[in-house]
Amino acid sequence: MLELADIRIATPERVLVRGLSAQVGAGEVLVVMGESGSGKSSLLAWLCGTLAPGLVASGQVRLEGRDIGALPTVQRRIGILFQDDLLFPHLSVLENLLFALPAGVTAQRVAKAQAALADAGLAEHGRRLPHTLSGGQRARVSVLRALLAQPRALLLDEPFARLDLPLRERFRAFVFERLRAQGIPALLVTHDAHDVPPGAQVLQLTAGAGGHA
Amino acid sequence: MGTPSRPVTRAWLLPAGLFALPLGAALAWALAGAADPAAWQALRTDAAFAPSLRLSLWVGITTTTLSLGLTLWLVARLHGRPAWRRLERALGALLAIPHAAFAIGLALLLMPSGLIARLIAPLAGWDAPPNAATVQDGFGLALIAGLVLKEVPFLLWNVVAQLRPVAQGAQLRLQLQTAQAMGYPAASVWWRVLWPQLLPRLALPVLAVWAYGLTVVDMALVLGPTQPPTLAVLAWSWLLDADAALNRQGAAAALLLALVMAAGAVLGTLGWRVAQAPLRARAVRGDRPAPHAALPAGPVLAGGAAAYAGVIALLLFVSVASVWTFPALWPQQASLDAWAAVAGSLRSVVVTAGLALAASATGVALAIAWMETTPAAWDRRAAPLVFAPMLVPGVLLVVGLYRLALALRLDGSLTGLWLAHSLFSAPYALVALAPAYRSFDVRYEQTAQALGRGRLVFLWRVKWPMLLAPIASAAAIGFAVSVTQYLSTQFVGAGRYATITTEALTLASGGQRSLMAAFALLQAALPALAFAIAWGLGRAQARRIGASESA
Repeated sequence: MLELADIRIATPERVLVRGLSAQVGAGEVLVVMGESGSGKSSLLAWLCGTLAPGLVASGQVRLEGRDIGALPTVQRRIGILFQDDLLFPHLSVLENLLFALPAGVTAQRVAKAQAALADAGLAEHGRRLPHTLSGGQRARVSVLRALLAQPRALLLDEPFARLDLPLRERFRAFVFERLRAQGIPALLVTHDAHDVPPGAQVLQLTAGAGGHA
Repeated sequence: MGTPSRPVTRAWLLPAGLFALPLGAALAWALAGAADPAAWQALRTDAAFAPSLRLSLWVGITTTTLSLGLTLWLVARLHGRPAWRRLERALGALLAIPHAAFAIGLALLLMPSGLIARLIAPLAGWDAPPNAATVQDGFGLALIAGLVLKEVPFLLWNVVAQLRPVAQGAQLRLQLQTAQAMGYPAASVWWRVLWPQLLPRLALPVLAVWAYGLTVVDMALVLGPTQPPTLAVLAWSWLLDADAALNRQGAAAALLLALVMAAGAVLGTLGWRVAQAPLRARAVRGDRPAPHAALPAGPVLAGGAAAYAGVIALLLFVSVASVWTFPALWPQQASLDAWAAVAGSLRSVVVTAGLALAASATGVALAIAWMETTPAAWDRRAAPLVFAPMLVPGVLLVVGLYRLALALRLDGSLTGLWLAHSLFSAPYALVALAPAYRSFDVRYEQTAQALGRGRLVFLWRVKWPMLLAPIASAAAIGFAVSVTQYLSTQFVGAGRYATITTEALTLASGGQRSLMAAFALLQAALPALAFAIAWGLGRAQARRIGASESA
């Protein structure tokens, strides 16, 4: 469970997010929509622990009952997916997945990464470099990589925005299905109402406003 | 946006030829001069040869390894922190200090009667300078320290240039964030993910550091060992000798240094390729190291800053000190005699500034001509040629340049010096100017054409005024490169023209410390003045453009 309570984010000049509260259960998605400058990206950055200097935030963020607001990014275990797949271009697809997996016996880690690739229909692509894959394949690998790091929550920063329409629908289904299966709470930032999964909470941000989902 | 809308014509041959022909001819002559078997035999049997070569290898390898290692470590520790921004801002000033001036200041800091010994003296109970070779030491440690202090800012500047393009910088930042979200501390992400991507793009600057460390003459004359000196210094002394056979031996030694440099580059490339597999396996092992386990970078930065501040302060103090006995921290008597003597050498100042202005103008003109006549993609093709004057050992290149000057009857003439300095200034001007020039929005030209204006009017009235700041910066860099020329000035000028650099280095081997410090300070001040003017011009232009845009 991801819980946000009374969150406020402000620049010295203006308040971006005021009094935002929400709860996201295991496998659920909280969709955050709003115009540019309404504080969506700042909200994600704060949740990640990478809020830009000059911005001030307050409020509580609890993950599985634990307050993580003061933890550094690396200890929060909140994964993130951006518009770009951000696969590391010098590592093969398999190596990108191994990077995300926790340390352990090499053979077991490789087997786990290969199983994830097979599950996503990418079994034969493990040795290829990211730039040789199609956009849809890269997008799927980036989701697999984020999930293999075993995050306790996932932030989705418009990850569908760059994909063309048919691909976009398939990719959305791919992501939401895995979030449900693994019981990971997620926060999705988007401009497109089609991205909202059925039954999801939707939070509309306007600059300086906030509120409950 | 930066792709020219015009078809490529043969006009590019002019700037390319003006740069490549003299460079190619000089290299060919240098190789011909070193092709005498007797010279190689004499070199092989010279008692100083083997220890000098060993020393050069030690200095080159240690300097390159330490400079690169420190650069990678500093970036991994500091990037994204407030200290990184401060460091970025300071880099220009650090780079503007010429190598020779820095070496002279560092010698004054490190020598047995230098500032460091004076600071220690009360604690150690010294009333006379300690009997230790802290400068020109047999292991070349003072030289290595000087080189590392100068080369780390150069490599950092190249890293900043790689990170600066908006898209690339943003991509790396997001990769950093993504990996941090997987539990990796920032420093670990740099080693595992970011450096493997960036290092291949730093290959040429690293090669330049290796070439410079292996073949440096000016800094080695001040800080390096003398019994024996490095091979580059030895070659330089042979080249200056009146004996023609020794000249050929010097040319052979210079060529050998070039071959060693090339062999080092090949070995480095092979080593990098061989290391790929284990490095990648290490990167994806999955272990998340604890953050803050590494040493803090603050003391290292503070040490570097103190060295630079100490060097400049010492040059200033020594230049006005007439009596400064050990272990006093301050001069007992001040005098402006050294500066009066500098004023008396006005001719060398005028020659230095005049040559630098002419060489920088030529360098910028060549750079602009190249970029106006070629598409951006060609810069990559031209890179090896552009970097050649930085990579080919100076001591080898000047041999060829001298022979070329002799053939053209330009030796010992200001025209010869101007052309030689231009050859060294042009590549730096191109490297400095290309990013801004290539990213200039071509729609401005289309707009000017649509308004019925020809190309010359567009260049003169629109493009160059808009690019005034980067053009001024490139000119300042070309100016600084010319001011610091030592080998080419001595050789092509046949010793007939003194510049402040040749004066400072000549004085470095004598006892007139205050005069040496004054010349060294002046050598640092001239480029600083050029950078200050470039900065002022850029700022004024930015204000003007900003004002007109908002109007």
